[in-house]
Amino acid sequence: MITVGIDAGAATTKAVLLVDRKIAGYRIASTAFDFLTAAKNLFGELIDASHIDEKHVEKVYATGYGRNTVTFANKVISEITAHTKGVYFLFPEVKGIIDVGGQDAKIIVVEDGNVADFLMNDKCAAGTGKFLEYTAKALEIPINSLGGLALRANYPAGITSMCTVFAESEVISLRARGVGKEDIAAGLIAGIAQRIVVMVKRMGLRQNIAFVGGVAKNAGMKAALEAELGIELFVPFEPQISGALGAALVAYETRS
Amino acid sequence: MVEEPEDARMMYMSPSLSSLDYFMESYQARIDQLNEVRNKGTKVVGTFCLFVPDEIIFAAGADRIVLCGGRTDTIPIAEQSLPRNICPLIKSSFGAVVDACCGGKLSCPHVQLVDIVVAEATCDGKKKMYEILPEYVPTYVLDLPQKPGSSEALDYFRSGLRKFGQFMEGLTGNVLSEDALRREIRSSNETRKLLHRLFELRKQDPPPILGSEILSVMQKQFFLAPNQFRQGVSRLCDEMEQITTEPRSGRRIMISGCPMAAGNTKMSDIIEQKGGVIVVEESCTGTRSFWDLVDESKNPWTALAERYLEIPCACMTPNDRRIARIVDLAKQYNVDGVVYYTLQFCHAYNIERLRVQQALKKEKIPMLAIESDYGDSDIEQIGIRVDAFLEMIS
Repeated sequence: MITVGIDAGAATTKAVLLVDRKIAGYRIASTAFDFLTAAKNLFGELIDASHIDEKHVEKVYATGYGRNTVTFANKVISEITAHTKGVYFLFPEVKGIIDVGGQDAKIIVVEDGNVADFLMNDKCAAGTGKFLEYTAKALEIPINSLGGLALRANYPAGITSMCTVFAESEVISLRARGVGKEDIAAGLIAGIAQRIVVMVKRMGLRQNIAFVGGVAKNAGMKAALEAELGIELFVPFEPQISGALGAALVAYETRS
Repeated sequence: MVEEPEDARMMYMSPSLSSLDYFMESYQARIDQLNEVRNKGTKVVGTFCLFVPDEIIFAAGADRIVLCGGRTDTIPIAEQSLPRNICPLIKSSFGAVVDACCGGKLSCPHVQLVDIVVAEATCDGKKKMYEILPEYVPTYVLDLPQKPGSSEALDYFRSGLRKFGQFMEGLTGNVLSEDALRREIRSSNETRKLLHRLFELRKQDPPPILGSEILSVMQKQFFLAPNQFRQGVSRLCDEMEQITTEPRSGRRIMISGCPMAAGNTKMSDIIEQKGGVIVVEESCTGTRSFWDLVDESKNPWTALAERYLEIPCACMTPNDRRIARIVDLAKQYNVDGVVYYTLQFCHAYNIERLRVQQALKKEKIPMLAIESDYGDSDIEQIGIRVDAFLEMIS
């Protein structure tokens, strides 16, 4: 059976093609303004790159912030369920998930592949990919180099403000005091890591925790979380696709 | 698994209950009635809380309406005087009073209908707001003990109620007789028993009425005259007992937490749009308003003090009674999950969340905590959580 999962995220759209429960392809692209156009284009690209005829795709399930706009999907499921199914497929021993995306951060407690509890931060940009994006701008560096830069810090700066707007001005005043880029980057990342770890501990998670979402690609962030938690995190080969993968898996498992 | 939203809405639509129209129609009649009795000299009291006993107000020959604000448009007016970071109910209520007293057109005509506000010393935000209120409307504040479990608390509250009774006599010029008080206790108990009958019907699976419909009825409780309200509830119960409901697969949800004052239906609406079936609300606009009866066999002042001190509000400490009530309701109504709803910056209910969560966890009842204000900006985010929660408990 051939299924497709589409994660219509706030910042990026992800699609996964599943053939008999095996990943046969995936695509990631920026969402831009229109969720549906992004999803349609990505779906087309995914099919074109495979050797599969679109007619043979039995089911398309959508998830993510823009899931209800994906009108060609057969069904929608929440990101919480989608990530859980996707991560459990990749790491069957998983007990918890940290998902830090462009617009929100989620902590999910997993029991036997099912959601047992969850916590979300999405009322403000603190602790999300947006925070890193803004503060990287204040450092005048591309977002992708923030993590690597942070790993080279000698004396991480203390960034006390977790409000994205205030953190940006804090970064500027640190720059004005002559603090190095590496130390500021490390300070920013440590700040977010602490915030996320509070959420993780609040949910009582200790071991077997996966780290997914766009921010999981940031090596400095992974290192900071691991240092705070004192464990090694599971990070999938492509941390952005677990939601889309989960949606495709649920589509496969729901035979109707 | 959540069906596409439109399907969900179709699926979980309950049969339309024609007796609900009564509550809409009686609104204008009530305003006319209040204007009429005021012209004849009857005093109308505005209240903001369940802790102010209706029985005393009515026994003194006055009338009452509850002024709690659930609207968002009066909040900017309040924010000209009050801090932004206090709960929206306080801001909305205060803004409505200011608007009404300054000739504004925003608020409903309710504030203009009252001669005096009888406030109560509950949470910090309200207490401090009531200190500013006299600039706009005469205000009497009923004091409350904070540790309701002790005998001193009972004595103190009873004396406070008596003092309030004397104040009401002064306001109305009437004598507040013990007979009148007993009569009003019986009347209020009658309302409470009717509401028990209404809520009992919601134990059915599925219940014959939506949670958002119940909420609109409960909000009317605080505006209509008691007999007018009872007539409506009685008709509604009769109709609900007649109809048979189609089976449906939605999860049974209890909402527990802060009051949802008229104008605020956001949480109930979202849960039901997502396919959840609301079966009971543990809140001031739910069970807290009617669950306990006043003992008619005791001295009325003692009985009133006892009953009102039992209201399990988070402003009381410790509030074990509420924790036990929530667990009990969850079992009685056979709920699949609890949505713990709090207003932003309501410290008492926000902090009490942890103890409620712990108690529910022990009973293996899942809980979702939602903190929100009156704005629409977080509807989508709340929707995501509710979707995920309903999937989780499916």
